[in-house]
Amino acid sequence: MKRLDLVRDILDTQVTDREETKMGRVDGLVLELREGQPPRVVAIEMGFVVLVRRLHPRLGDWFLRLRRRVKVRKQACYSVPWSRVLDVTPFCVTLDVEAAETPAFDWECWLRDHIVAHLPGVAK
Amino acid sequence: MNMRKATQLALGIVTGVGGFFDIGNLATSAQAGASFRFQLLWALALGTILVIFLVEMSGRFAAVTRKALPDAIREHFGFSFWLVPFLVLTVVHFLVLASEIGGICFALHLVTGLPPAVWALPVAILTWLFLWRSIFSTIENSTSLLGLLTLGFVVAAVQHHPPSGELLAGMLPSLPHHDPAKYWLIAVGILGSVIAPYLFYFYSSGAVEDKWDPSYVGVNRGIAFLGMGFGSLIAFAAIVVAALVLAPRGIEVNDYHQAAMMLTDAFPFWGFILFAAIMAIACLGAGIEVSLSMAYTTAQTFGWNWGEDLNPREDARFCLTYTGAIFLSSLLILFGIDPLKLTIFTMAISAFVLPFVAIPFLLIMNDRKLLKEHANGWISNSVAAFLLVLSIVLAVVTIPLVFLGGG
Repeated sequence: MKRLDLVRDILDTQVTDREETKMGRVDGLVLELREGQPPRVVAIEMGFVVLVRRLHPRLGDWFLRLRRRVKVRKQACYSVPWSRVLDVTPFCVTLDVEAAETPAFDWECWLRDHIVAHLPGVAK
Repeated sequence: MNMRKATQLALGIVTGVGGFFDIGNLATSAQAGASFRFQLLWALALGTILVIFLVEMSGRFAAVTRKALPDAIREHFGFSFWLVPFLVLTVVHFLVLASEIGGICFALHLVTGLPPAVWALPVAILTWLFLWRSIFSTIENSTSLLGLLTLGFVVAAVQHHPPSGELLAGMLPSLPHHDPAKYWLIAVGILGSVIAPYLFYFYSSGAVEDKWDPSYVGVNRGIAFLGMGFGSLIAFAAIVVAALVLAPRGIEVNDYHQAAMMLTDAFPFWGFILFAAIMAIACLGAGIEVSLSMAYTTAQTFGWNWGEDLNPREDARFCLTYTGAIFLSSLLILFGIDPLKLTIFTMAISAFVLPFVAIPFLLIMNDRKLLKEHANGWISNSVAAFLLVLSIVLAVVTIPLVFLGGG
């Protein structure tokens, strides 16, 4: 049996979608406490607000307030149920989703459509 | 060694030589030679030895784990640990980028007579277009081939027949006979420019872009040793030329105009133009590297899609990071900040922040779970320990020196 530590090996690890598009990092992990049963991991969380909350809860609140003015991202925290995790390696967590359809890609899509699309073309 | 590896080795060495010299090396070398002749060569030699080891470690890490450093450090030590080095790196990237853009603008000023500030936006647009439209290998190869023009300093140094006894004496650290604060500030600046804090982070991302695997460990060692070694020869030559051309005339470099006279003795007709060309090309190459480095570090920290070979539509955040960095930093030059003062200040800051960026790097190089048999051995770790002590000393002395030395 392979052993992975939640904090050392999963928290902060690169997250990719089915197509291996890099879509962010594991910014938070959620455990469910169950009556009479051991706790279990139910979700991973992604989002800048999750990240700053780890530094200080007040920073998280402040960031949420700031967010009300900028409405690019539909959800501040993108919570992915553990059941959508396809694979976990020490270097990568692969999710059974398509990056462009998740809140983790809202900024990427917004910047692509509103800025990159208006800049001179690229022949790469 | 197969053909592909041999080509990579040759290319890597050319990249090392062509990409080594930038505005920080130019400014500190010119000042060192003009004010203290060969006496500060030891600082360059020390910096070179340390940077060879750091670059070797960084490339080895990327080849073995196929991960770039910012990526692996956040993953491994967590966001809270990486936050301070990340912010520090961002500030250094920004200042170095502004200095390089300032260097290109000044080179254009030397040739055209128009003030550097006028060139800030055109230069920013040119740098940006180059990144926007090229793939990684084009950038790597073209900037390093053009960078070979910096060898002009070596040709000039040889033509001046430097006294070998004095050169050797300069390789040993000695106390200055005058202006001690200035002497130590330049020494710190040379170390800050040679052991550029962003350099080893950038190099690991480049190795990932070039798709290195563990079989590149040997190639990497050759590139680090020969590329950085020969590269530092150019800075060495610049000190020698400044010592033999500027020092006898009592010219101290307080302004890039004074440095521009360096090559006119060796190349009477076109020395001035050659100097401007070297300055512009070295700074353009370095500016492109620093912009990319900033985008790599940011994208990897937050897990965004990244890669210079992707179309900007596929990694909008990555591409817009370097776009923003280039245009914001060019504002410093547009608003008329003196490019030389900015460079000297930036080099001092680079030396100051070294412990913050070196500690996570040196720690992760010892992780046997990640690197297995390629983790640092005792030689690399002895150098790392020395670097840590040195970087902490630098961090402590830099700020008082900036005030005393008038930086």
